[in-house]
Amino acid sequence: MDKLNIILNGETVQGIPGETILELANRHGMEIPTLCHDKRLKPYSSCYVCVVEVAGRGTQPSCSTEIAEGMQINTDNQKVFDARKMALDLLLSNHYADCVAPCKETCPAGVDVQGYISLIEKKQYNDAIALIKEDNPLPAICGRVCVRPCEAACRRNLLDEGNAVGIDYLKRFAADQDLLHSNHYKPEVAEPTGKKVAIIGAGPGGLSAAYWLQQKGHQCDIFEANEHPGGWLRYGIPEYRLPNDLLDKEIETITELGSKIFTKRKLGDNLSYKKIRKDYDATILTIGSQRGTLLRAEGEEADGVFSGIDFLRNMEMTGQKYDFCGKTVVTVGGGNTAMDCCRTAMRCGAERSIIVYRRTEKEMPANPIEIHETKAEGIEYMLLTNPVKVNSDDAGKVKSMTLIKMELGAPDASGRRRPVPVEGSEYKLECDYILAAIGQKTDANFMDDINTNSDEGKLELNRWGDIDANEKTLQTGIKSVFAAGDGVTGPATIIEAIAQAKTAAHSVDMFLRDEEPMPIPKPFVSRKDNFKTQISEDYLGRYRKQLRHEMPVLSENDRKHFREVELGYESDQVAVEEAHRCLECGCSEFFDCDLQRYSTEYRVEQEKFSGDFIEKAIDFSHPYIEIDNNKCILCSRCVRICKDVVGASALGLVERGFDTYVAPAMGESLVDSNCESCGLCISACPTGAITENAKFKPGPVKTEAIKTISPFGSIGESIQLEHKNGFVFRVNGTEGMINPLGNIDRFAKFAYNFINKTDRITKPLIRRKGKLEEASWDEIKHVLQEKLDYDKPTALFAGGRLTNEELFAMKTLSEQVPMVKYTGSFHLLHMGEGHLNASEINMPFDQFDRVEQILLMHPQINMDDATLGFMVNEAKTQHDAEVILITDRENPKLEQKMSRVIRILSYDALFKAINHYLLSHNLQNDMFLNHHCDELDAYKSKLLKADFSALCQRAGLSEKEISDLFNTYNLSQHALIITAERYLNQAALAEARNLCLLTGKLGKTSSGLINVKEKNNSQGTIDMGLVSNIQNVRAAFYRKEMKQIFIFGEDPVGTAKDKTAVKASIESSDFLLVQDYFMNETIEIADVVLPASLPFEIGGSFTNTQKMIQQFDAGLKSKLEKNSLQQIAFLGNLLSPDKPEISDTVHALNEQMFPKLKSDANPYRIVISDDKSLSEFHHAADLVMKLFDDEFEHAFKS
Amino acid sequence: MGKTKVIVGLGSCGIAAGAKKTFEKIQALKKTENLDFELKQTSCIGMCYNEPLVEIIDDDGHYLYGGIDEDKAMEVIEKHVVQHEPLKDYVVQSDLFETMDDVFFDDQVKIALRNCGYIDPESLEEAENTGAYQAMNKIQKDNIDGDAIIQSVLDSGLRGRGGGGFPTGKKWVFAKNSESDEKYIICNADEGDPGAFMDRSLLEGDPHAVLEGMMIGAYAIGAQQGVIYCRAEYPLAIKRLNIAIEQAREKGYLGENACGIDGFSFDIYVKKGAGAFVCGEETALMASVEGERGMPRKRPPFPAVKGLWGKPTNINNVETWANVPWIIREGAQEYAKYGTENSKGTKVFALTGKIKHGGLVEVPMGMSIRDIVFKLGGGILNNKAFKAVQLGGPSGGCIPAYMADTIVDYDSVNATGAIMGSGGLVVMDETTCMVDMARFFLDFTTKESCGKCTFCRVGTKRMLEILTRITKGDGKEGDIEKLEELAYKVKENSLCGLGQTAPNPVLTTIKYFRDEYDAHIRDKKCPAKVCTELITYVVDEEKCTGCTVCAKNCPVDAISGERKQIHFVDQNVCIQCGVCYTKCNFDAIKLL
Repeated sequence: MDKLNIILNGETVQGIPGETILELANRHGMEIPTLCHDKRLKPYSSCYVCVVEVAGRGTQPSCSTEIAEGMQINTDNQKVFDARKMALDLLLSNHYADCVAPCKETCPAGVDVQGYISLIEKKQYNDAIALIKEDNPLPAICGRVCVRPCEAACRRNLLDEGNAVGIDYLKRFAADQDLLHSNHYKPEVAEPTGKKVAIIGAGPGGLSAAYWLQQKGHQCDIFEANEHPGGWLRYGIPEYRLPNDLLDKEIETITELGSKIFTKRKLGDNLSYKKIRKDYDATILTIGSQRGTLLRAEGEEADGVFSGIDFLRNMEMTGQKYDFCGKTVVTVGGGNTAMDCCRTAMRCGAERSIIVYRRTEKEMPANPIEIHETKAEGIEYMLLTNPVKVNSDDAGKVKSMTLIKMELGAPDASGRRRPVPVEGSEYKLECDYILAAIGQKTDANFMDDINTNSDEGKLELNRWGDIDANEKTLQTGIKSVFAAGDGVTGPATIIEAIAQAKTAAHSVDMFLRDEEPMPIPKPFVSRKDNFKTQISEDYLGRYRKQLRHEMPVLSENDRKHFREVELGYESDQVAVEEAHRCLECGCSEFFDCDLQRYSTEYRVEQEKFSGDFIEKAIDFSHPYIEIDNNKCILCSRCVRICKDVVGASALGLVERGFDTYVAPAMGESLVDSNCESCGLCISACPTGAITENAKFKPGPVKTEAIKTISPFGSIGESIQLEHKNGFVFRVNGTEGMINPLGNIDRFAKFAYNFINKTDRITKPLIRRKGKLEEASWDEIKHVLQEKLDYDKPTALFAGGRLTNEELFAMKTLSEQVPMVKYTGSFHLLHMGEGHLNASEINMPFDQFDRVEQILLMHPQINMDDATLGFMVNEAKTQHDAEVILITDRENPKLEQKMSRVIRILSYDALFKAINHYLLSHNLQNDMFLNHHCDELDAYKSKLLKADFSALCQRAGLSEKEISDLFNTYNLSQHALIITAERYLNQAALAEARNLCLLTGKLGKTSSGLINVKEKNNSQGTIDMGLVSNIQNVRAAFYRKEMKQIFIFGEDPVGTAKDKTAVKASIESSDFLLVQDYFMNETIEIADVVLPASLPFEIGGSFTNTQKMIQQFDAGLKSKLEKNSLQQIAFLGNLLSPDKPEISDTVHALNEQMFPKLKSDANPYRIVISDDKSLSEFHHAADLVMKLFDDEFEHAFKS
Repeated sequence: MGKTKVIVGLGSCGIAAGAKKTFEKIQALKKTENLDFELKQTSCIGMCYNEPLVEIIDDDGHYLYGGIDEDKAMEVIEKHVVQHEPLKDYVVQSDLFETMDDVFFDDQVKIALRNCGYIDPESLEEAENTGAYQAMNKIQKDNIDGDAIIQSVLDSGLRGRGGGGFPTGKKWVFAKNSESDEKYIICNADEGDPGAFMDRSLLEGDPHAVLEGMMIGAYAIGAQQGVIYCRAEYPLAIKRLNIAIEQAREKGYLGENACGIDGFSFDIYVKKGAGAFVCGEETALMASVEGERGMPRKRPPFPAVKGLWGKPTNINNVETWANVPWIIREGAQEYAKYGTENSKGTKVFALTGKIKHGGLVEVPMGMSIRDIVFKLGGGILNNKAFKAVQLGGPSGGCIPAYMADTIVDYDSVNATGAIMGSGGLVVMDETTCMVDMARFFLDFTTKESCGKCTFCRVGTKRMLEILTRITKGDGKEGDIEKLEELAYKVKENSLCGLGQTAPNPVLTTIKYFRDEYDAHIRDKKCPAKVCTELITYVVDEEKCTGCTVCAKNCPVDAISGERKQIHFVDQNVCIQCGVCYTKCNFDAIKLL
């Protein structure tokens, strides 16, 4: 085919005829944004985000515009940018959703509250603290004393009458747990850069800046004027709120990264900028706002009048508390410092501690919780009152103060109503001390020192007397000097100081890398508040009311000291319950949302085109799939993938125009539709409109991904587990050999809960006095030595879920340990001749495109092996194959996808009848048979003995139907038969394969047979030689000849179709050892239980139903002392000490294993089988499969 | 002496005006009085403003009576049929003498509408008598091949009458050249523009013309199956189509070896559309025929390559198809005699709005809008001032009165920012608010957007919101610019014609009537006094007689005043409903 010449962004490139502009651009390494395009689907062109400019044709959607010779394309100019931006502006103008929760949005430091609450829910305190510390290095401190704007913004307030989620309590709990831990969270520190930073002031800002800069490899030295670090945290906040030892501990988490703190060093005093300039590459001024302001009332110079902060500081500096016994102490002010002052005064023995405040309680800036505590502690309030004058006695000591009543007038600039004095309402209040907690000022008395020693600019103060620094970068007039915290903003909060420190640290880092300091880029966030004010009705229904776990505190009578008042949450459980109150306002897809990513890139303005918007209740009626139409951008990928790939058409578009939305195609809920719960719709959604209905709080948190192979059905899909420290948050399909487009089924997508289950068996157990008890490996050794009889016939069973490596090690074990007389696998216990070659020559999955006809003999393919079902559907819808379902049971969801459905009574009779017809009419492909098969005559004479019409009758079809079915099959050039071992007995399987042989279709391209096994590694179990003599093993098992039984990874009792028989046979043994992840019914009668490794913990390989071996690495940290492989080695070495050691490091397939992979039988052999047995176990004898099957069934029942 | 024929126009317009009753009355008369005349039906002749129409043909000639209700029917039958005394006062057209209404027909050239209003549409015989299937007979007899037919259509200069104006012959060439064992012919009869009824009248009046056109197309490109996609709101058209299809099958025009041509197998069925405007877009139409949600897809591939069921498909609209047999029968040169350089032949227009002679006209391309409005249309209703015409429905644009000399051909109309469209021509006078008019059309397109692509779904909605707030007096500075910004982007970045043209009414009204927008936004005034929120109703003290009618009828008691005293409207209470204005018998309520 001739290449086309295309001019792409000015350069001539070669295009392939038929490809779209998008494909061409991608091939040339250009990313074009698109929301509605999905590689798995045909071009659709609804979002118009992928537009490019085509010369002469204006902007065109690149996803559906095919290239043409000489086409001139521009993917990146202003016109294109503007069009994409407007498409996004318009989409976002109708995206009634929050990207991030208001708590994070409101936090000055932007701490990811929803994320860490999600981790606390999973008791991952270490991870929670790591997440918090990305934005706030002082969680234990902030968990105690933060003013918590997050809680004011929390939407829980709407539901529980002003009871926000206890965000700070949770943070404190996690931080305390982390600090308690010997291995508390410590961030990685980069290699030293050789750069040095001087930080002036060891308050929250200085400490935080050091924390981040040190991580970047810059050496930070903090200079602190006081004797101890902490700044306001130590000298302003009283101990009963923030104990010094806790403060010290948290400061240590900063210094342990390498920063040094030099105390009693005051800039402009005993430390000169001259030296700093010489020794350091950059300076950060985090000096705080340390000067208290007095009352500005007549007589305030009297003895006994302090500024509140001096009062608090003095006590900390001297270590002495004031003696206020019997005194009356008046605190003027309504902020948090005032609260600290009045409560401290009380603790200093004051008889009366009074707050004087000029507005009402409603206007008080102090935290409500603080106000609450003052009242509990007996603080008196004089509201709407203002000091006029301080009256002192002759000695100049305070005697009383004159106060005046106030009333509230019109609102002032701050929006609060301005207090106005009530004329003539003055009165006197007798008192002994007055604490003025009405404000602080920045004290920058080192200005001269800096400016005289600097020749690269000038440090200046702004009109409020604070340090003048660039608002966005916090760089001062001197390029190498930065400033942060109260010293810049004036008195503010700790969390604001931390936020500023982060900005300054970011700027300093850029400065040190010789870059122009720039603000930290902000991502686009969509906000519900841009559309409407949230009210409780928006949340009721989905969430129930649930009051908050209040913080346990010291008894109100036990407060005359400085011990910490708040005691912290009592237990994990309280914390987890409180975490559950989180409404998860932020979107679970935030880190994966294309819409959000593009919105940031194209600088979207959500309110530019604001107007009507779609508001719909979130549909979470489906147990696994959640539909949030508020977020939907109508790309229809979900609708299309459900129709085109799955064939279910469970989703549709309802209404027209702006009112269009996605809804189940039939009925109210997806549950009532043709939905097969595969979850492909979730994988298709480019934003958060269709998500997993997770059973836990999904965060979102940033996860790590490990690639592996689905541990369920035998298809072998590549998947990716997204986990945080072993807790799996979700599973996604990835592009693999089997599933090149990343499609996966419901097991792979949703059945990962077992990995997160907390009741995993992680230690060996021994039955003592009828009860299983945890034991050490030494004890296991003793028990085995003691109980196992080397002369008793012993059986080893291995499950189809195990890795080839485990299976190989077990086979080796069975060969090496003389007592092992039998090896087998329960889920293949019924296996016989009919099974042997069933998977030997299968049509590869990538040959579906040319298949013309499929006889589908997998009556539950849509539920059990949906990924294969997708291939069948694609063959039908994209390549016009005729798919005939031949089934013995009802399955309307599958039937509606078929070209034709033939209802039969018996698969084996059906195939026998067909083959009978074929042979009796001499319609066999002799050329093929002569070449491949020797057994034809024997087979023919045997089969033709049967009565054709009786066979037809038993099959449930007429003779004509049989002959018609055969003829349409036979005449089809590329005809495929799909069989499932779960539903076809051996006789049927053998005959199905014989039909392929007799017609010469076996082994032909896009033709022949696909046989589906039950478990992810059923084939491996066969290949590794575990089931080579299975009929004898089966007989011995039911004859109860096995006296000692080892079962690895199977639960025969819990899954047996005939539980009594299986249990009796197992119970007849003298010793039972079982290895599994969780308790199961077989374990209930076991003598010894071993913990099993998850495949993701040991890595290895699975062999799929087409004998394709796929390897994967270990990704999750093992929770076991000895992993499964080590356990087998342990057993082998214990039970056959004189044989060569069994390696416990079989991590990948090795050469030794290969001989066993080969099958000796002629793959083209005609097999004659009358065996009508099916598997004797449900769920392929696998506990995990059973757990999910049960969970799935239960989920749809309730 | 031949039998007198009495023919009643029973098109949808006639029926709506009461023609059915008229017909039944005449039928009853004929029976009870045992009168000897032939009573027949026909369809719309285009003179909708004179419905119900009754035509009487006797030996003297033909007389078209207008506005014939049941009473007048009696009178006309009595006088004309029984007493042979034609009632000249009621005659709107005759071949014996001139009438006032002759101007309506004088400049028309009827090609597509050649039989409409003249034949009984349910009679194949009458159709055949006026030339139906002669083109197919000619093809069969003269053994004309597909290429020759297509050449004729190319030579005729016929362009798609659905609005796109794409040369019909070229389209056929594409479809013919697409290799496939199966091909389709579609007649797009999903006429949905507000105020347009060309297709309906044609299908009701001369269904065989359309069928024959499709047969010619099918024969030319090699199609076996035809589909007429007709909106379900046209029950009479569907009924007559089905009758005609059945007649054509019986007569062998459809089916195996259709029209006696060996190996030409062709049949047609009618697919009812569910009423979505966007299904008039060809790719959405095909999706709808296939049973999918009516949503367009990106072209190319064009239907000629990949159309219905993925097979090559040729889609033309009703009027285009109706022209085809005439062209084959009379010759391409005959057709090309009419029209302008690039726009040949005639065009059917549905005249509506503030015009005296509302109805259906067919004029040669090149006639000026002024002539259509003032000659054929008889001028503006109530002799108000002519303000503009809206051409092309919601996809089109307005052409202001000062540009009324614009001639109707594709290029001239496009140059104004409007489009020829399928033929809807809405006339507006001084009482039309152009902002409100743009809002009206955009409201239509916004509601009819299928919801697929972003700009059409959300962009038109946002434009509508801005227009709505302007008409409510909440317009802001910058709104016009925002409208323009949106309009250009929506035009360029929409998937199908609906979105690509939806901003046209807005853009053309801004272009020609920007001052009206400014008046709404800056002065909070609606110059045409249409936007209720911007109207102030006051009492004209000179004219008020104190009759109290306004006060009594005011639903919110905003009007006060003693009997025989001048009344007063309390503007704080008034809701601008306009009841006082319509109720006042003395024109004493003024709009400010």
